Amino acid sequence: MRGTVTTLKYLLAAAALAYPLMPFRDVYVLHVLVLIMVYMVLAMGLNILPGFCGLLDLGFVGFYGIGAYTAGLLTIHYNMSFWLIVPLAVLNGALFGVLLGSPTLRLVGDYFAIVTFGFSELVVLFLTNEIWLTRGPLGVPGIAPVSIDVTWLASLLGISERWRYAFRGEAPYYYLGMAMVLLVYVVMRRLEDSRLGRAWLAIREDPMAAASSGIDLFAYKVIAFAVSTGIGALAGAFFARWTLFISPDMFKFWESFLVLCMVVLGGLGNINGALVGAIILIALGEVLRVALPKLGLPAETRFLAYGLIMVLIMRFRPGGIFTQVAESTMQSGLIKELRAKLAARRTA
Amino acid sequence: MDAILAVDGVSKRFGGLMALSDVSFTVERGTILGLIGPNGAGKTTMFNCVAGIYKPTDGRILFSGKERGQDVAGSKPERMTALGVARTFQNIRLFSSLTVLDNVRIGRHCRTSSNFFGAVLRTRSQRAEERRIIDAAMECLDFVGLGDLALSAASSLSYGDQRRLEIARALATEPRLLLLDEPAAGMNPKETEALVDLIHAILERDVTVVLIEHDMKLVMRICARLVVLDHGVKIADGSPREVRANPDVIEAYLGKGAAHA
Amino acid sequence: MLEQQLVNGFTLGLIYALIAVGYTMVYGVIELINFAHGEIYMLGAFLTLSFISLGLPLPLAVLAAMLATAAIGVLLDVIAYRPLREAPRLAALITAIGMSIFLQNLAMIIWGSRPLPFPKQALPAFFAESALTFADVSISWMQVAIYVVAIVLMIGLNLVITRTRVGTAMRALAQNQTAAALMGINVNRVISFTFALGSGMGAVAGIMVSMYYNTMYPTMGYLAGVKAFAAAVLGGIGSVPGAMLGGVVLGIAETLGAGYISSPYRDGVAYAVMILVIIFRPSGLLGRAVVDKA
Repeated sequence: MRGTVTTLKYLLAAAALAYPLMPFRDVYVLHVLVLIMVYMVLAMGLNILPGFCGLLDLGFVGFYGIGAYTAGLLTIHYNMSFWLIVPLAVLNGALFGVLLGSPTLRLVGDYFAIVTFGFSELVVLFLTNEIWLTRGPLGVPGIAPVSIDVTWLASLLGISERWRYAFRGEAPYYYLGMAMVLLVYVVMRRLEDSRLGRAWLAIREDPMAAASSGIDLFAYKVIAFAVSTGIGALAGAFFARWTLFISPDMFKFWESFLVLCMVVLGGLGNINGALVGAIILIALGEVLRVALPKLGLPAETRFLAYGLIMVLIMRFRPGGIFTQVAESTMQSGLIKELRAKLAARRTA
Repeated sequence: MDAILAVDGVSKRFGGLMALSDVSFTVERGTILGLIGPNGAGKTTMFNCVAGIYKPTDGRILFSGKERGQDVAGSKPERMTALGVARTFQNIRLFSSLTVLDNVRIGRHCRTSSNFFGAVLRTRSQRAEERRIIDAAMECLDFVGLGDLALSAASSLSYGDQRRLEIARALATEPRLLLLDEPAAGMNPKETEALVDLIHAILERDVTVVLIEHDMKLVMRICARLVVLDHGVKIADGSPREVRANPDVIEAYLGKGAAHA
Repeated sequence: MLEQQLVNGFTLGLIYALIAVGYTMVYGVIELINFAHGEIYMLGAFLTLSFISLGLPLPLAVLAAMLATAAIGVLLDVIAYRPLREAPRLAALITAIGMSIFLQNLAMIIWGSRPLPFPKQALPAFFAESALTFADVSISWMQVAIYVVAIVLMIGLNLVITRTRVGTAMRALAQNQTAAALMGINVNRVISFTFALGSGMGAVAGIMVSMYYNTMYPTMGYLAGVKAFAAAVLGGIGSVPGAMLGGVVLGIAETLGAGYISSPYRDGVAYAVMILVIIFRPSGLLGRAVVDKA
């Protein structure tokens, strides 16, 4: 059985990697897949706070927006390379996370949620009004696509050509997106199975017991928030250099809610669940966008469907699809060693 | 007396209620002190003050873990744990959706140091520390007799085992002083015997124990000294024999006139 | 100029107060932020429009709309929130947001997504005229009507909460639900009543706003709801007098801020208030101090 599952996983991965190269590829499908990847990263980022720390962030979109605008504006004004922008955007997001988190992470759950919500609304207001910086409601158009420039390598080899590849179409973003998702996924799994991750889970389970076990609640909540906002900003930077146009109304509260639904649907705290949640809700949106007009309803009705679906899921399966928390710890090498040792003890 | 803990004139007020009123006592290093009294006497409140959950309204709490005594009243719980004071809870507070092993590994938190970068980059020192954490956690689990259940879910343990797990987690923090809040509650005589052995073994690890208990037989057997609280006030302080014969104590537990009955 | 701003701010503030009491009452009894409350406010306006177009005179249309929204509020509780009483908080919150989105879009389907004007013909002609003019300040009859209705409703609410049995039951529930149930209070019924009461008042706010600004649109509940919630937080979440006070203060602060400091950031006043209150004084102006249950 296990062999079949692994083979299936490899086949799926191979299919995913090969798809953009196939003659039957569809640009629309590729676009949706890249969009799903962006949301996968957002979902994994948001998952940290409620999933690991038990805190609700209702303003995640604010950091997504900060990342996107950091990337967009740096590109427009300084023509900065994407590869330099990414760490800057992530740092910026994390910095704002620390700034917002420090006065607010000592607050009781509901209050923290409210403050994050207010913050993200203020971000949108700022983006809309500070026209000198952000061009306001007109948005930032003409963002250069991602490019890989290894001209320095060419000159090293004595060749006087520009070795520069600028991303065109969906396919290169598809592969970059996969790399981004994989990177964040690995980071999340490693965090989960570490001293830091265990501290977060303890805070989620029982803050008083966690403190009595020696965990500084406030410090670890700030770290969680900074990691979460940094990841949100990462997704934003990618998004800006992919859609090549950003405007304030792409970063409204609806996005925070959507990502939250993905996290809850997938199962709070479960990293794989975040991925599945992203796939389901984005795919659902696209299906509805196509299907609803066929039923005679305007395409906007899909938001109504979203609302209704979330209500129904909360009613009948509030725990989400994958309820297991901290499952990567069970698969770590050290645990497997321990399992073997314990089994040996029992038979001895 | 080499006092590891000296409670000096501690009071704790909640709104209009004086939960603790000018309580003073010392705990001698390497012994078992019993903190007893009728329900609502303030025993758990006292624990909470020592462990950092509450800040005393008044008074000092001098703790001499490794260094000279310092007044730790009002310190945060995580600081108290780092200094060497660990505690268990009256209503067991485990991390129930985690494994038994993880519960104890979390106890190792304050004695280890890997951070975000170590976790993400899986540096050699981080991996070595993780290995040490598992070894130390297993040592604590084996010490309390739960080693074989390390990879089970904490919620699947029996009540008595859950209490022992909480003790294992507390021991993982390498305390000098262990506060046990009603560890024998809900245990049958056989389990209580095992608990007695465990507490003696804990003493041998150079850990001083303060015990809140209602099981008088247990308390009289193992405690070197007893401190009796009633309505937030200390009414007796001495050996089990002295305390047992103290008329104030008898009255507190059994009512007026019982002392002379 | 300042005086006129104060008058306008006071008018706005009363409207916020009417919505805010709905949030604070529901949070008081079930500790839920009813995200869909803003939509109740919006439906109040639209239902009045529909009732008027069915031929009802203004007072009857308003009454009918109030009753209808009270019923919708109760339905919201019974269908969406009551089944989740024992569920984790996050589930109830998501449900509330989901219902908010559902109602918003339902309104868009029924009435279209474009703003609609309030039917002028239904309003008494003298509403637009100025009732009082003194020192640069002009108060129209409509504003007077708003003041009268709002104040009467708030006094009425206060009487219901302090003098009636069901009001006392509400207050008991807010303090200790278990004890209240043990005293024989029908918890579910009282909670539904709370929703009905808050919804009715929110609907009136919606009607008055659509009259005052002569426009209504399906997403109007979002912004007004957030601001009213900020007002409830300012006053002390769970405190009805606090919500009233918070509403008025916020209305005046927002109008003055927009007039003297910065107009585009007008909406930001509410957010800033919300954040600052929660960080520096979470109990708000009139709320109980937040006790840390150790």
